[in-house]
Amino acid sequence: MKVVTGVIGNDIHVVANRLIDLSLKARGYEVFNLGVNTYLEEFFDAVIETDADILLISSLNGEAEGWGREVKALKAEYKGLDKLIMMIGGNLTVGAGKAEDIIPKYKSYGFDLVCHQIDLNTGLDMLADYIKEKSA
Amino acid sequence: MSSQNDKLLIDVGSTYFKVCVTSDAPERRQLEQHFRNFNQTILDDLMHKCGHTISSFDHDDVFICSSANGGLSTLIIGLTHTFSLKYATNIAFNSGINIIDTILYQDLDSATVPSDLIDVVIIAGGINSKGDAFADDLYQYLHNVNYSNIVYVGNELDAANAKAQLPELVILPNIIDDRLHIIEEDLKAYLTNLYQQDIMGKEDIKDLYQISSNQIFSTPYIVNQTLPLIDASYSVVNPFILLDIGGATTDIHYSKDLVEENMVTNNEFDRLVFKKLGVYKSRESLIFNAKNNEFVYELLMHLGVTENIFEEQSDKATRILMQLAIFLVLCKMSHYREAYTNLKLTAVKSIVLTGGVTKVLKQEEVDDIIGFFFTKILTSKHRPVTIMDTDYSIWTLGSRVQDVNLREQ
Repeated sequence: MKVVTGVIGNDIHVVANRLIDLSLKARGYEVFNLGVNTYLEEFFDAVIETDADILLISSLNGEAEGWGREVKALKAEYKGLDKLIMMIGGNLTVGAGKAEDIIPKYKSYGFDLVCHQIDLNTGLDMLADYIKEKSA
Repeated sequence: MSSQNDKLLIDVGSTYFKVCVTSDAPERRQLEQHFRNFNQTILDDLMHKCGHTISSFDHDDVFICSSANGGLSTLIIGLTHTFSLKYATNIAFNSGINIIDTILYQDLDSATVPSDLIDVVIIAGGINSKGDAFADDLYQYLHNVNYSNIVYVGNELDAANAKAQLPELVILPNIIDDRLHIIEEDLKAYLTNLYQQDIMGKEDIKDLYQISSNQIFSTPYIVNQTLPLIDASYSVVNPFILLDIGGATTDIHYSKDLVEENMVTNNEFDRLVFKKLGVYKSRESLIFNAKNNEFVYELLMHLGVTENIFEEQSDKATRILMQLAIFLVLCKMSHYREAYTNLKLTAVKSIVLTGGVTKVLKQEEVDDIIGFFFTKILTSKHRPVTIMDTDYSIWTLGSRVQDVNLREQ
């Protein structure tokens, strides 16, 4: 399956981005890595150009909180993204925050899978389970 | 009579033409600039004003470039703004094309069909493993468009169907690689060729072969040749931008180091054109642009004039318009007003000005307007060094480089 990934907003956590890239490839995904400092429109545009199945956005400095609010409205402007699996992970809030508050908030933004402060492999296992569940 | 190493360089612009004699002997060097007489053919006008100089050169020693063909009109249809449309636009500008309209494929059903003849339509979109990017609606739309050339630079899987639908379609390699990077060479070569053919096909330009036996090139191409060598003429510090502000358009050539986006290309320099920013042929649209800029009245106050200056036909009005053109171009390239690409202007070390602007404005007037822009729009104390190419050294150097290249082939 094809995955578009990158770090959203003015966030330069390149090591995390590289680890996600390597881990996805190790699991057999075809990865289109947009790198750090990526804007929301670029993510969706890359999905359209590559025909990706999954969009995996990472955020390490909490910037996703601001960008997340735009996701639903922007995604609605695109045709043909209905089947796209939307996943976000990293540190998804500024300051302290509880996962039980953060996860529903991001799901309301339009993400299918939300991984706040959990390790990468656990997050990718969640993705694999979600894909299996969807295709069953 | 000219000596063996003397060359005559002629640049025919939309408003002016320039005639330059280069020579090893300083006393023989000369530069003339004349306002074009639009009631005469270019050749008649040239011979009327500079006939004596032109007649003293062998046809082999006369080199001509021109941007007076009006430019090619281009319609680009692509899948996304960030990739296919942006990449194709970038390549088109770098190929010397001035007039570019874009349509996002998903918005095709609400797009109007251009009423004028389009010189070239470009279809782009998708990496090679993406198929079915384009459906019948594209071909139905194109059926209603009046175009001279059409080229497909999208994904490989859709190419065969596109060709079947449009037999006149030229298919070139995809401009997007499998890592979403830009591939420029093939489309750039195709468009540069079309531009060249267009210049050579214009009756007015064809006449010029009566005075030169060398190929006539497009001026943007010649200027682009010079950019890597610009420090041979001036102490330009990289990264720099070159503003060519003339009568009809404003061309910007900029170091790739100034681009914020992740568009990876092999070029050191890119080009962008604002087709309606000029002080003669595009005067009205320049004024329209100025009136729509919220800082313009503050700028006019800073320059000590009122908006009545727009109605005046005087040297002073031309100077103010040139200053406005510099300001508007910088605005468009900054984050304040989005062009198709933005530049990190606070990182610019040098701004080189060439074209008609150098004949109208003094160095301090240019510095003043650039200072105003950096203070007001970028709220920065940064001041790039400004360099005025008053004797058209950049164009002269570019023409000579072209001459050397031709001789080496």
